[in-house]
Amino acid sequence: MEIKAVREGVYEDRAGFPRQYGPERSDHQPGIPFWPHEVYRDLVITFLLVAILFFLSAFATPLVGPSANPAVQPYSVPDWYLLFSWGLLKIADLFPVIHVPENFGGGTLIGTEIDAAVWGDLLTAIPVIPIFLLPFIDRGRETRPAKSPFRAAGGMYMIAFVFFASVYAANDRIIATWPFIHDDTLKWLFVVPPTLVLVASYVGIRRLGFRDMYWWIVASLGASFAIVSLVAAQVFVLGPWAADGIDPLTRLAMLPNNPAAHPLFAFMIIVLAYTGIVFFAAVALRERKAKQWVLFWSLFFFFLAVGLVKFFADTNPAGVGVALEVIAYHGNWFIAFPLFSLITYYVGTRTPYSTYEYLLNECYQCGKCHTVCPVTKVEDDALGGLNLVYNTFKKQHDGVPLWTCLACDACSAVCPLDIKYSDYILEERSKVMARPMAADGGRRSAE
Amino acid sequence: MIPLDPEYGPARTIPHPVLFRVLDAEADDATVPKDLPVAKGAEWAYYPGCIDYYDREMQFSHLNYGDTDHGIIFDSSIKLLKAVGIEPAILDRSFMKCCGHDQLWQGKLDVFQTMRDYNTKIIRMLGVKNIVTSCAEGYRTFKLDYQLKGVKVWHITQVLYERGLRVPPPKDGKPIRVTYQDPCRSCRQMPVDPIYDEPRELIKRVQNAELVELKTFRGDAQCCGVAQMMYCNDKTKGLTASRMDEAKELDVDYLLTACPKCLTHFGCLHHENRWKPEEERYRYRVVDITHFLAERLEGEAIGKPPSVIPVAQDPRQKGAKGGA
Repeated sequence: MEIKAVREGVYEDRAGFPRQYGPERSDHQPGIPFWPHEVYRDLVITFLLVAILFFLSAFATPLVGPSANPAVQPYSVPDWYLLFSWGLLKIADLFPVIHVPENFGGGTLIGTEIDAAVWGDLLTAIPVIPIFLLPFIDRGRETRPAKSPFRAAGGMYMIAFVFFASVYAANDRIIATWPFIHDDTLKWLFVVPPTLVLVASYVGIRRLGFRDMYWWIVASLGASFAIVSLVAAQVFVLGPWAADGIDPLTRLAMLPNNPAAHPLFAFMIIVLAYTGIVFFAAVALRERKAKQWVLFWSLFFFFLAVGLVKFFADTNPAGVGVALEVIAYHGNWFIAFPLFSLITYYVGTRTPYSTYEYLLNECYQCGKCHTVCPVTKVEDDALGGLNLVYNTFKKQHDGVPLWTCLACDACSAVCPLDIKYSDYILEERSKVMARPMAADGGRRSAE
Repeated sequence: MIPLDPEYGPARTIPHPVLFRVLDAEADDATVPKDLPVAKGAEWAYYPGCIDYYDREMQFSHLNYGDTDHGIIFDSSIKLLKAVGIEPAILDRSFMKCCGHDQLWQGKLDVFQTMRDYNTKIIRMLGVKNIVTSCAEGYRTFKLDYQLKGVKVWHITQVLYERGLRVPPPKDGKPIRVTYQDPCRSCRQMPVDPIYDEPRELIKRVQNAELVELKTFRGDAQCCGVAQMMYCNDKTKGLTASRMDEAKELDVDYLLTACPKCLTHFGCLHHENRWKPEEERYRYRVVDITHFLAERLEGEAIGKPPSVIPVAQDPRQKGAKGGA
């Protein structure tokens, strides 16, 4: 009967015989949907927490002190988790004030004009609304960060945005403590660092999903080099000495005589050279060599900059003051971009070991791989276990199965999570074989 | 994972036969020969890979008395390509190296990289536009593990299918039953362009052939037992035997495959099987799909005629039959 079924090719339509193979297969939806499996449990937990809150507020009322007076400045500082909202209110006056036409919405809907207060309220909602909308927008298959890198990078962007908005909320304190920091610099914190976090996270998370990120690294590092160069040129042409009304060319000719220009020039060369070298390493060198370069030059330029600050502070204290002030004013470019280059390069070239650690951790031990593995049918060691590769990964084996594996990929073909076991095999075998042979013929390791 | 020692650890279970020592040493010499025997700018090139090398150096066909002759794949492929109007430039091992598949999967990444760089350099020098390989492992390696941008890699069955190979009607219309073993490298392991339908369509073009499927086939096909020339022992042989038993149950006349490694191991077991009692023997032929198709084309015969199956007595007593 079975032979007849095979002859007529009817197995293909049976359940359990997939008709699509490889990563492109669309005939399964791994994971468990949120609705309704998790909702009952979460409702119970929610009600329990609310009950605890009610109980505590009824029977253990805390002493909260006198109510705050909004007219007195130090008392109107919000709690730390609302600082981002305060920061957004503080920059809301950048937005244009829009006069609402008479009797718009009955004249009572939003008042007479959209001013900084309204803008601030609207901006505050921006980080919050996506969190509420996410379960309704994203109803697809199970998505880990490595599987939907853009969404994960968007989350990182939002976290960075909220963080830097909170930092800006303390702008008056920051400026009072460090007077060389300008308010404009702090305002740019809303734009530059979160965007850099977005790009770096995207590159890193894509790499986590084991994708080649060469062109992304080249593009991001090239752009950061170009932007730093442009800002450096702009600083020199229209620098802090630009208020004197002399035309830029004459001023540039006078720069060598300006004592403040020397340290500034040195620091800017360092920043430019560093971003340039990281860019060059990413484009022109092989990965291992490039990593060594980036590490070496990062340390070199860091110590060089520290040494120069010390040197100029001894010889040219006024000049180094001006230089540091200019660097601090353009900190969003001169400090954030070199850091961005370093981080993007690092996360974009992470070694694949952690990738496989990540991908194999997805396994939820359904055991389909074990069912199809041909080796388990003949190999005594392998009986009763899960996939050979998985056991090796989990250190439940001495590593022998790694070499017993035929790399026929039957396990990957049935894997509901599309884990590519054979790629892991390649990786591990090459790591073992890349070790140099023992010079004494293995006698030392045999002892 | 416990670190493995390549000399005395579990990694010792990999056989490192002389062949692979020789190939590794060969990979180190990366000097490009002065005058290549192939004209530059060829539209089509055929890469035979290591099949004839296995035959000559490893002497598989001597070991099994000529029953499994890998060199035939080479001849058959050329004949088939000519039949569909392609005169390929032949990238043989006189100036190319192995594709490096076995080295890669044995973990010798450095050896593989040397071979890959060398081969890529030669292919770029020659300006080849299409590479045809008759080997599943070569297909996967060239397509996925090499970075050959601008060069299209074909398995020979794809070329024959696209070019519309015509198999003339057979002289004797005796119906034959044919089954096909999907090699893992060209099927399950190919995220792009897996070869499932092309060989089956080609088999159906042979008029008197009836295609039957093994117990597991296409993406679920069981491995032939040995990959990347590692770990040949009684257990892997058990897998090969279980696969060949499936074909035996189907009562086929031909077990076809598109991978020389499958052919090697099926052929090895097939040969050993001849000493078994009459009723336990495999009565089908194990051949490569190119060989099967080329036999059915007009023109000069490919290889020698199939040896008698089942063999009446022990071939060792017959003296010089196909041997060295």
